[in-house]
Amino acid sequence: MDGPGSEFLQKNFNRDHEYGVVLHSEEYAIRTRNIVKSYDGRHNAVDDISFDVARGEIYGLLGKNGAGKSTTIKMLTTLIKPTSGTIEVLGMEPSKQSIQIRKRIGVVQQSESFDFATVENNLRIYGMLWEVPREVVSARIEELLDLFELTEFRKVRAFELSGGQKKKLQVARELVHDMDILFLDEPTVGMDPIMRRRILDSIKDRVKNGLTVLFTTHFLEEADYICDRIAIMSEGKIRVEGTSSELKEKYGGLRTLEIITRENGSPDGMDRLREQLVSTELASEVKGQGKTITILGKSISRNLDQILSSLKTLGITIDSINLRDATLDDVFIEVVNS
Amino acid sequence: MHAPAFLRLTYRNIRVNMDLGTMIFMLGLPALYLLVMGTMLQNIIPGVELSSSKISYTHFLGPGIVAMQTLTAGNIGGGMLWSDRRWGMFEQLLVGPFKRTDYLLGIIMVAIIFAVAGSLIMLGLSVSISGGFILSWISVSLTLFSIILGTMLFSSLFLIISTLAKTMQTYNTITIALFFVLDFASSAFYPIPTTSDAVIRAISLSNPLTYIVDVTRTALIGVPDTTTYMYAIAMLVLTIVLFAIARLLYRTVRSGV
Repeated sequence: MDGPGSEFLQKNFNRDHEYGVVLHSEEYAIRTRNIVKSYDGRHNAVDDISFDVARGEIYGLLGKNGAGKSTTIKMLTTLIKPTSGTIEVLGMEPSKQSIQIRKRIGVVQQSESFDFATVENNLRIYGMLWEVPREVVSARIEELLDLFELTEFRKVRAFELSGGQKKKLQVARELVHDMDILFLDEPTVGMDPIMRRRILDSIKDRVKNGLTVLFTTHFLEEADYICDRIAIMSEGKIRVEGTSSELKEKYGGLRTLEIITRENGSPDGMDRLREQLVSTELASEVKGQGKTITILGKSISRNLDQILSSLKTLGITIDSINLRDATLDDVFIEVVNS
Repeated sequence: MHAPAFLRLTYRNIRVNMDLGTMIFMLGLPALYLLVMGTMLQNIIPGVELSSSKISYTHFLGPGIVAMQTLTAGNIGGGMLWSDRRWGMFEQLLVGPFKRTDYLLGIIMVAIIFAVAGSLIMLGLSVSISGGFILSWISVSLTLFSIILGTMLFSSLFLIISTLAKTMQTYNTITIALFFVLDFASSAFYPIPTTSDAVIRAISLSNPLTYIVDVTRTALIGVPDTTTYMYAIAMLVLTIVLFAIARLLYRTVRSGV
């Protein structure tokens, strides 16, 4: 990988957690069974969820605001206790071994958090709190400032930074120390696409070294890019779980094929095309407007050859075609709305 | 070398609080009380009676300003919980390699360090303008006892406010009002004569700062007697009660405000 910070990433690929404890034996970094959390005894913020996260996996928790994602993270990071159910983090129970768990995890919380100190001192203080040797902290600070494009702000007090810069500082600060699991609760809010991609790449690289990540975001293309598996939560429950492709295949709905023709289509020609494609179940719906024909169907890509030959038979000359696959957005909307 | 978690948090608290604003609040204002108010009032106050001898007003004021450091440092310490809750660091630290008790100890420790350092500076300033104080093992121990216990007392009080206040406005209003009452309705600036208004006198005598000031003043420029030790015991009891309440409320604090 090239670009700012690449040297840092290179070095850290090979770093074998010199100062942290590495999870070697456990197959799962996180295991939860039937966990429920109710704050008021009436309404369940998290309602009977179970999931496992394997070591070295990036697991995405998606859902609308209030779906229960942050509450789940708070339970896993020992901040709050579940009302019922069992949780295992790195083979330990949060209710009994909270301090041992906390020594081996990193958490970037959704809400902003910083000390009333400069950017550099925020990182330095955090390194001291985590007992990272001073010379290691100094080296990491330089690398992280470079990676997160914060070098010019190193002497600026954290509260003077913009929202996006504060978020960058929060993520950078967590990377000062080593960990086995990194919990990221909407870590890229307020950042530009280039920085978002750089952070995601940096996380992906760390995962190659055995880091496990639990990730929540509202940017679904981010989840699609980074997560090995995704769970979509709604009203405290996990509604669906699987890889991005599995979810798209199962819940993505209709694919769209958009065709731009050389000449405007006639209503008669459109009727014949509709009849050919819909009656043979090659498509579910065919719409035409001017030079644009839109064909919707569940198996458009599989039937593409036959659809194109039907167009040719009807004498329709194609200028361009665009096949839009189902996105995670489609899955999310489908799952949450249903 | 492994430093205990509470010491790492204490160091963090010192680093975070060592800014100009805090230093002015902690040292600048008390120094001005001593230098400006003390020397100006000395012109109209001929002398103050203490332990059946008459001393200058600045000499009388010095121990009061020293003892006031407990209130200021307690406010800085206790207020840290509020600030950390407000700016997200409380929750962030609680997912770090610390126990809740470590965080609490870190706050108390930083308040004590600030109070002792501030007291020494105020003591030095006071000596430079009004002469020396009694230096014996009793006076030093009694002063240290009073400063440390007083700081724990006020840290607990401000911790209680930090856990209960829901908005910044509420927190600021309560602390400013408390500061005014505790500072000025105490024996820090003037003795509390038996002839003073009954209500004011009652407030002054139920004000913990009065006890801290009286113990410190007696230790530094008077002769400790039974009353001094009674005041010290009263301080100890009040500190235990307030600390217990603060600890109870602190355990229920979940996250930000």
